[in-house]
Amino acid sequence: MSVSDATTALTEELAARDDMIVCEGVNKWFGDFQALDGITAVIKEREVVVVLGPSGSGKSTWIRCINRLEAHQEGRIVIDGVELTNDLRNIERIRSEVGMVFQQFNLFPHLTVLDNITLAPIWVRKKPKAEAEDLARSLLERVGIPEQAEKYPGQLSGGQQQRVAIARALAMEPRIMLFDEPTSALDPEMIKEVLDVMKELALSGMTMMVVTHEMGFAREVADRVIFMEDGQIVETGTPEHFFTSPQEERTKLFLSQIL
Amino acid sequence: MTAPMGDPAATVVDPAEAWAGEQEPARKPEEPSLSAGEWLSKNLFSSAVNSVLTVVFTLLVLLAVRGLLNFTFSEERTWRAVKTNMRFLFTHAYPQEQYIRIWVCVGAIAVMSGLSVGLLARTGAGISLKKLSMNLMGTGGVIGLGILLREPSAMVDDEGMALHGDPAAAVGDSFVGWLDANALAVLGVLVLANVALAAWFHLQGTYLRDGPEPRVAHGVLMLASVGVLIVQQYATGEIVRESFADAMADRAWWWLGAVVLAGSGAALWFGLGDARRRNTFVPAIHVFFAGAGIMVLSAWLYPWGHYAFLEGEFISEPGSTVAMTTKLPWTVMWALLVGTFLLGRALSTAGAVSRLRVPLNLLWVMTPFVLYWAVLRDPDLDWDHVLSTDIPMAVFFAVFGGLVVWYLTHPRIGEAGRIMAVVLVGVAVLNWVAAYFGWYPMLQKARISFLLLAVVALLAHNFAGDRTQRLRLVAAWVAIMAVFHWLVTLVNSPSTVETPTDALIGGFGITLIVAVFTLLAAFPLGVLLALARTSKLPIFRVLSTAYIEVFRGVPLITILFFFTLIFNLFLPDNMSLTDIAGATIGFALFSAAYLAENVRGGLQAVRQGQYEASDAVGLTTVQRTLFIVLPQSLRVSIPPLVGQVIATFKETSLLAVVGIFDFLRIADKVISAQSEFLGVKREGLLFASFIYWIFAYNMSKHSQRLEKRLGVGER
Amino acid sequence: MSNTDQTTLAATQSGRPPFYRDATVVKWLAQVFTLLLVVFALFFLTTQALENLNRQGIEIKYDFLGIGLGSDLREGIDTDPDTAGRALWAGAVNTIRIAVGGIIAATILGVLVGVGRLSSNWIVNRICSIFIETARNIPLLVQIIFIWALVATLPNVELDQGPINGVLHLSNKGVSVPRLHIDDGFYQWLIFIAAGVLVGWWVKRRQDRRHDATGQETYPVASFVGVLALFGAVGWVAHPIFGWVGAIFDFIGDGFSSLTPVIVQVVLSLAALAAAAWWIRRFLARRRTPAGLMKLTDDDKFRIIFAGVGALAVIAFVLVGWPGLSSWIINSGTDLLEVIANKFGDGRTGRPMDIKAPDVEQIGNFPNPGPAGLNLTQGGTAVFFGVVLYTASFIAEIVRGGILAVPKGQTEAALAVGLRRVTMLRRVILPQAFRVILPPLGNQYLNLTKNTSLAIAVGYSDFVQVGQIVYNQTGKTLEVISLWMLFYLACSLTISVIVNFFNIRMKIVER
Repeated sequence: MSVSDATTALTEELAARDDMIVCEGVNKWFGDFQALDGITAVIKEREVVVVLGPSGSGKSTWIRCINRLEAHQEGRIVIDGVELTNDLRNIERIRSEVGMVFQQFNLFPHLTVLDNITLAPIWVRKKPKAEAEDLARSLLERVGIPEQAEKYPGQLSGGQQQRVAIARALAMEPRIMLFDEPTSALDPEMIKEVLDVMKELALSGMTMMVVTHEMGFAREVADRVIFMEDGQIVETGTPEHFFTSPQEERTKLFLSQIL
Repeated sequence: MTAPMGDPAATVVDPAEAWAGEQEPARKPEEPSLSAGEWLSKNLFSSAVNSVLTVVFTLLVLLAVRGLLNFTFSEERTWRAVKTNMRFLFTHAYPQEQYIRIWVCVGAIAVMSGLSVGLLARTGAGISLKKLSMNLMGTGGVIGLGILLREPSAMVDDEGMALHGDPAAAVGDSFVGWLDANALAVLGVLVLANVALAAWFHLQGTYLRDGPEPRVAHGVLMLASVGVLIVQQYATGEIVRESFADAMADRAWWWLGAVVLAGSGAALWFGLGDARRRNTFVPAIHVFFAGAGIMVLSAWLYPWGHYAFLEGEFISEPGSTVAMTTKLPWTVMWALLVGTFLLGRALSTAGAVSRLRVPLNLLWVMTPFVLYWAVLRDPDLDWDHVLSTDIPMAVFFAVFGGLVVWYLTHPRIGEAGRIMAVVLVGVAVLNWVAAYFGWYPMLQKARISFLLLAVVALLAHNFAGDRTQRLRLVAAWVAIMAVFHWLVTLVNSPSTVETPTDALIGGFGITLIVAVFTLLAAFPLGVLLALARTSKLPIFRVLSTAYIEVFRGVPLITILFFFTLIFNLFLPDNMSLTDIAGATIGFALFSAAYLAENVRGGLQAVRQGQYEASDAVGLTTVQRTLFIVLPQSLRVSIPPLVGQVIATFKETSLLAVVGIFDFLRIADKVISAQSEFLGVKREGLLFASFIYWIFAYNMSKHSQRLEKRLGVGER
Repeated sequence: MSNTDQTTLAATQSGRPPFYRDATVVKWLAQVFTLLLVVFALFFLTTQALENLNRQGIEIKYDFLGIGLGSDLREGIDTDPDTAGRALWAGAVNTIRIAVGGIIAATILGVLVGVGRLSSNWIVNRICSIFIETARNIPLLVQIIFIWALVATLPNVELDQGPINGVLHLSNKGVSVPRLHIDDGFYQWLIFIAAGVLVGWWVKRRQDRRHDATGQETYPVASFVGVLALFGAVGWVAHPIFGWVGAIFDFIGDGFSSLTPVIVQVVLSLAALAAAAWWIRRFLARRRTPAGLMKLTDDDKFRIIFAGVGALAVIAFVLVGWPGLSSWIINSGTDLLEVIANKFGDGRTGRPMDIKAPDVEQIGNFPNPGPAGLNLTQGGTAVFFGVVLYTASFIAEIVRGGILAVPKGQTEAALAVGLRRVTMLRRVILPQAFRVILPPLGNQYLNLTKNTSLAIAVGYSDFVQVGQIVYNQTGKTLEVISLWMLFYLACSLTISVIVNFFNIRMKIVER
């Protein structure tokens, strides 16, 4: 099967699934600087999308607009059929449906690992405490650190902290997970343990949008790669297609610099 | 208004680091012990400049200490004035026959403190035995030096007047007289000799070699200076003074104290032998209990004297022991403190700490209200009114509000909840508007209850949860209503305690009470102001900034005058404030502005990522603020907050200026107006300074320890 | 792919949510509601006060400032003032005197103690820390009253007063020291000094540039001081040539007094409108992108509306709320210009300044005011030493913290590049320490100024104490308290403006 055949097959298969994230003509400025320039993209259910691009290309801004950490100024963003507007109910709904993992982990330093994970299920999802704790322990099991439940984030290594952060996001039982450079702040020996957790998550069928510089992860796990520069989407394609035969000059230049 | 000048955040560490720091406290490596000689060379005589500084400053200090001792223990001081007025200084005119209430209050605080410390305090930190023994020896030594430095008593004639001698004859006659006349010159020569010596050693390079010569030579010259300072005072100048031997014999008790202190310190030091055992720690609280125990015991054993105003009668019995009405209660207080501490310890080992922490803190918040309005005032309840109005109203609000809370905390309440909350806010506001236009009558406490309910309703959806959670919130509401209505009933009942002023209690009591209520009111207000000032919403920010800068820009005294003199003008006809209440409001509004700036420093130290993470997991703004932002920022701003507590405590002395009989006013104005002690002012002021100092100093030391534990200020 | 886009988007409705769910609307509703609440509370309190005053037949008026005052002040520029206004003025001068003197003395003492606290000498270190712990843990008011009681134990005033007759007098009436007396030609001489500063600044910059260009030592600071001294010396004798300056102020004053209130009202209203317009323009400019003006969010619109409403509120206040404001501005402006004009004149030919030494003329009597030196009464001494000791203890801690805040690596690095110790202190350590010290130091200056108000407890005639005398005699409590607050707010503002100026300079130095 040729590359183009595979692409067609994938496109057809994807078309049958539901849309999870739809962006249409999204623009955003920081003062004079245009951070997002007409972003239009659709991410399907159970799809794993890796966003690549040089620093300052707007990848992080885009992903942060998707759960309203930043407000986009023009265009539309629809998550699982709910449009992101000023509507408080929609913002609430989208935030509890979209989990996010940050570059700097952003765990709550005054709470134990267990409290970090159960906080949102109890107060946002209104779960009983015992149930939330059971869920938290099973999630810690899933990310491979069940023994750290009673510790404080400051006592964990970077890799462990990031795995707790993933567990915290998963505790809300989200339908979409956003990763904003999850491995950039980690020491090299810890990157793998986090990527392993992410791979497992991808295989379990989670819809994921990942901003990263880990090309290996993109090649191995991604269904689709989006390349951004200067706030625009330059090129989209399957990993094989993207890494082996990129169409755009800018993509080629970028790949030649990093590979 | 005035622009913010400081960035409080600059002095505050990142909370994340503070937590990491607290988990594993870094123990400083023990400094190597120096021998006494090495210590002197290193710290006092390391170079020529250093040696001269040591000499000059030691002399200055000795002169100052001598002056202070001679001032304090001079025959001209009427310390009887302070001893006799002890009760006045601490409680002013609180009636004698009701005094048991005061002791109940002190006892309640002793019980609460004992329990809290026993349950919650960490046992790890404390005083090393080495430090303890050094402190004991040092105190003994300082007392000994003080005994020597203090001038001898003047000889008096039959009428108690000091005997005068002939100064001219004395100078010619004796060496001591000559020394007294030429003391300044002699000391000057000694200082110059030290300077010359320092220069000589410097040129010879002796300081660089670290030899013992400088400390020996300078030490001898300094001892000579001390000798001059002591001996000079035994000259028979204008006033005839007792001889050295007589003076020392007079001070035998002091000598005994100094020797016991220094001796027990030395015994501890040499008894322990090696350095490792000297570095073991004893909990500071045990040392405190022991010290307090010794003081209480001395009240039974040592003839401190009995001084009092009993029913207007002046009692002065210097030789006797302390009155039973003083020593018995204090003994009970000590026993309560230690007993409840031990109880707390026993409970804490049983593992109840986490369960008891919240109730204990709530009790602490309740304590001032209960003690002031229920115990000290002994309210005369009108039972008909209580049964017909107060209790039904409390029950109504408890039930109605409970139902509202139960309904609004349903997890799926959605929009209906919001609409209902807005309706409740409307009703609450309408009640006040109605009060203004006089539409319908309503008790003030009903209006406040409605307002409380409206606030709770607005916040309720943030705390929605499962059945247990909702039941807990309903119970909390019912408890709040019960306490609130009970307190309002107490506050509105006339007091049965008869006092001459509108203040129930005066002296140090009112100082503490005003400080406590000020802080209780100022703290929430300060936090709200800080949140508003750091808010992204411009109107909140502008209002809060204007408030903070206006209150920080004017002197406290003008605010106090405003609230005690003319604030009643601004109130409706049927309302008025007593001076104490007005002053407390003024203090609270003033302190809130400063507290807000301290809290703001902590808020700015919370990283942006914490806000983003809270938003990303879907917390609401209220939840984010309560669960994430405030816990982190308050923890970081504890040291400046304690600083503000100290400042507020000191500022309460301004009560004296607006005519309230607080500690300072009694020490300054009341005692000096008594016919027995006309014009006796300095003694009371010195005593007041000492008491204020003890409180403020201990609080600031505690805050410094906290600062260290949190790792603030360390890089 | 594009067709799925269309279907999904069509399926979701896009219109505005109901207002109670719209984040922006809810946000602004809460703010406006709070604002109304505050305005209503203030309105309620004021109307209540006015009503209460009305019932008692009292009006809020400031005409008592022109009424005579029946009592003397203890000290100040005018101890027997004609009017209450003049008395308050004398009180204000006393407050400023003690605040300025206190700030200088507290800074010197505080820096000395703060540096001593870092000394390696154990005894100096201990003494400084004992001083700090004592002075800052005893309430200032207690200290002031205690010092007052101590001064009372000093000897009576004698003709030959000690400890140093003619230079320093200590007695139970207070303290006297020599002082500078501002004389006839002082303000004309100030013009020379101002010119000297300008020229000196120019010379210093030139020398600086030469130093930068050639690297040779050009003594810029010394040149500045030299030029200033030269101008001062010339001005000392030549100042009468500026006698005509008064005429300029007279001319401006005449012009000012011929203004009508309407003109002032119009000018103020226009200023408010201009400020709002300027703010809105700047706001919009920041939202302009290369692609043109971006869509304004609701939040932006609310902000713009509020700027407009604010300007209208100011205009309403000027035109309706307090119509007398404009004539008050005209009158006081004219008076001020007249006062300034009178400081200059042909008749003013004397020396700009003299030194006056303390001199006792009558046993037991403390001369004040008069030809003698600077006299601080018992109360003044207590307030001065109280605030100085108290504030110095805080300044010492700030200085110590500031010096400790400079990392050790800075010293090592400076020594490593071969700087001399003095250069290192001046160029490396002190600039960094200053940056940390300055903001809290400014707060301490502010506190000191406010704390001088405790003078009321010991009868020093400062602004608050004189105010108390005034309201005790006239019954105008509310008015006096409003004057107190205005005065101290003005002082605070001045201090924070000065400190902020240096603060900003420090920050530029840092970059």
